[in-house]
Order: sequence, then C-alpha cells, then structure tokens
Amino acid sequence: MSISVRDALGTFKKPAVISIIGLIGFIIGYVIDVTVFSDASPVQPINFSHRMHVSKNSIPCLHCHVYADKTPSAGVPGVSKCMGCHKVIATEHPEIQKLATYWEKREPIPWIKVHDVPDFVYFTHKRHVLAGLACQECHGPVENMDRVTRVSSLKMPWCVDCHTKKQVENGRDCWTCHK
Amino acid sequence: MGKMRDKLKQYLKPGYYEKYDYHWGMTIDLDRCTGCEACVVACQAENNLPIVGEKRFKERREIKWLRVERYWEGEYPNIKLRFIPMLCQHCDQAPCETPCPVAATYHNQDGLNTQIYNRCIGTRTCAVYCPYEVRYFNWFTYKWDEPLEQQLNPDVTVREKGVMEKCTFCIQRIRQAKDHAKDDGRRRVRDGEVTPACVQSCPTKAMVFGDLNDPNSRVSKMYKNPRGYKVLEELNTLPKIVYLKKADSDV
Repeated sequence: MSISVRDALGTFKKPAVISIIGLIGFIIGYVIDVTVFSDASPVQPINFSHRMHVSKNSIPCLHCHVYADKTPSAGVPGVSKCMGCHKVIATEHPEIQKLATYWEKREPIPWIKVHDVPDFVYFTHKRHVLAGLACQECHGPVENMDRVTRVSSLKMPWCVDCHTKKQVENGRDCWTCHK
Repeated sequence: MGKMRDKLKQYLKPGYYEKYDYHWGMTIDLDRCTGCEACVVACQAENNLPIVGEKRFKERREIKWLRVERYWEGEYPNIKLRFIPMLCQHCDQAPCETPCPVAATYHNQDGLNTQIYNRCIGTRTCAVYCPYEVRYFNWFTYKWDEPLEQQLNPDVTVREKGVMEKCTFCIQRIRQAKDHAKDDGRRRVRDGEVTPACVQSCPTKAMVFGDLNDPNSRVSKMYKNPRGYKVLEELNTLPKIVYLKKADSDV
C-alpha cells in the first residue's frame, strides 16, 4: 500500500484554477484598459487635423502655439485665431461649420487636454524650446496626425532619462522639476 | 581609492558637495526687527500655507514656515522684549536629512535643504531631529474657503495630508530668477535678484538674502558683522542664517 499525495493536492485544485483565471482576466483587463480606455488619443469636439495644417499647408507650430518659446505653457490658439483664416478658407466644410457656431456663440472650444503633467510638476515650454529641442521630440510626429495622440508617457522616468542623456545642468535635482 | 574616499565623505556628510553652485544664505538684523510679523503673513501667502483654524492651533498643529518667537528679558522695571524670527536655517550639516528613510529631504546643489513632497511618507522623523523646530506636518488636508483659493500660488504645490513641509527659501523665486538670467544669456543670478517673500515684505529691511559664494554680495558683507551669531551653533549643524545681535544702549 502506498500513500498518494494526489488526494492532498486535490484541495489546491480549485484555488489554483481560480487564481489562473483571475490572472488571465487581469491581463485581458489591463490590455483593454491600455488600448480601449486609454486617454492618449481622445476624440476632440472638432476633428482638427494637424496633418492638414502642418504637413499639407506647412504652417509652423509657433504660428498657432505662440507662447511656446515665451512662457511655461505653449498656448492653445483662441477661436479668433482660427477664424482669422477660416472666415474665407473652407467655410463649407462641416468641421469648419462647427467652428463657426462656436465663434457665433462666443464660446471657447472645449478641447480635451492630451499632454498634461500633474500640478506638482514645474514644466516650462520656454526653456525646452529655447534649448533647441524640436517639438516632435516630446510630442511625436504631430504633423502626421489627424487626431493628436500622446506618444510619450510624460512620466518621471521618461523626463529623467532625457535629462540624463542630454546632461542637463542640475537636470537630476528633484527641485528642477518638482515644485 | 579616491572613489572610496568620496563615498566616505558622502556618508559622513549627507548631501556632500565639494562646492555649491550658489550658497544661499540670510542675515536677520534683530536690532531692526520690530516683531510685526509681516514676514509671517508674506510667507503664508507666498507658499500656500493653510490656515489650520483655532482648534488645530490649540492642538499645536499650526503650519508656519516662519514664526516670530517672543522672549521677555529681565524684571519689571527693566523689562525687555526680544523678537527672533525663526525659520529653517538650511543647515549645511542638517540633522533632519540623515534620518529620512526615503531621502525625501536632501541638500541640493544650491546648498538648500529641500523637501520633496511627493516622496515624503510622513514618518515625521525629520521634525524630531530638527533642533530649530521648523518642520511642520500636515495632519489633515486643509481646505481654503471660497474666495481664498483664488490667491493660491500656482508655482507652489498645495500639500496634502501626511506630508512634511518646511521653508524652501522661496525656491520658486530662485528658479524664476535663474530662468530670467538664462533669458538674458547670463550664467549666474545677480545679487539682489532673488528676494524671498519674507525679505521682500520686511518693512524695516531687517532681512538680507543672497549668495554667500559671491564675496561682494550684500549678505556676504553682512555675514562679517561682529554682531552676528548663529542659533544653536554648538550643535555643529552649520546653519546658514546669521542673526545680528540686538545692540542695547544701556549695557
């Protein structure tokens, strides 16, 4: 007569199956969260195409984002800036009609912020632009995007990696970016 | 071998630097201080310090990065009132830096004793180790009443519950001054370009702030004043704030 451990193992079968199913569920959930519910590429109130403006019509970034080399925030152009051109250009286009309604209602367009850093982070566009960084290094190839997608994580390791690589003066001091 | 020596130095002297970029320091002339507490108010406004309320104040949970301490000296006919503004001394050998388990407080290249709020886990060890009692703990997440949140400084984080905080020598102003210096193509900040809120608000100009590395700065000259002394110097914390003794006429 031999002693089998199989009976003893049998009690672990149920929890093992449950934990494996749970793990698979977790992985699937994570993938869905990252792909479907990601906030990297939100649907904007107006389908503004950077490709149309930058690549096809070669408008430089700083034409609309005027404060990028002057202040901490790059600045989203006001409706008046859009209407400066779109009073005459492509007025029949349905998206431009949407823009015109905002203009007539005298309301700002409720753009959804794609690139956002938390409140405790001190980030200034000015220093980065004046240091000779191209916009694309952080924002990705926006000139080829129909809908803006966040390419970089904008998380701390990502910032510190670049600061280390470029040997930024005091670039690794906490108080350079934290406030 | 040299690396080992460097490591040892770092160990013996936390936040060890051969030489600081800037060496921000301050002098406070007690002869001029009238104890008006304008600096306290300015600090409160500049650095988003919460108003904790009467109840919390009684529990000694008030947050004031800068407080004016009051001492009575002598007996009734010859009684004298002394004021001493007490703020973080930004010690070069800070006792508060060594015990932090997560290195949330450290010495940076400007010789400032700094606190990273995101990193702080709220063990409050630093507050225990600080001989000047100038570290304050957020026991609660404080709320600002309706119109008051409009005056919060966007350059300073609003701290939450469970975080230690302290005077930063208005690091946001230092950062801004450095930013302007870079815009002008200068490597360094000129003397007098950085004024912390307390220094700016002082009606009698009792406080002087500047770079100690620069021998011609106002603060370096004030440092050599024979009236100068440092608080609790015997603890060898190397505080960076020099108090100028009150000169009495009847001594």
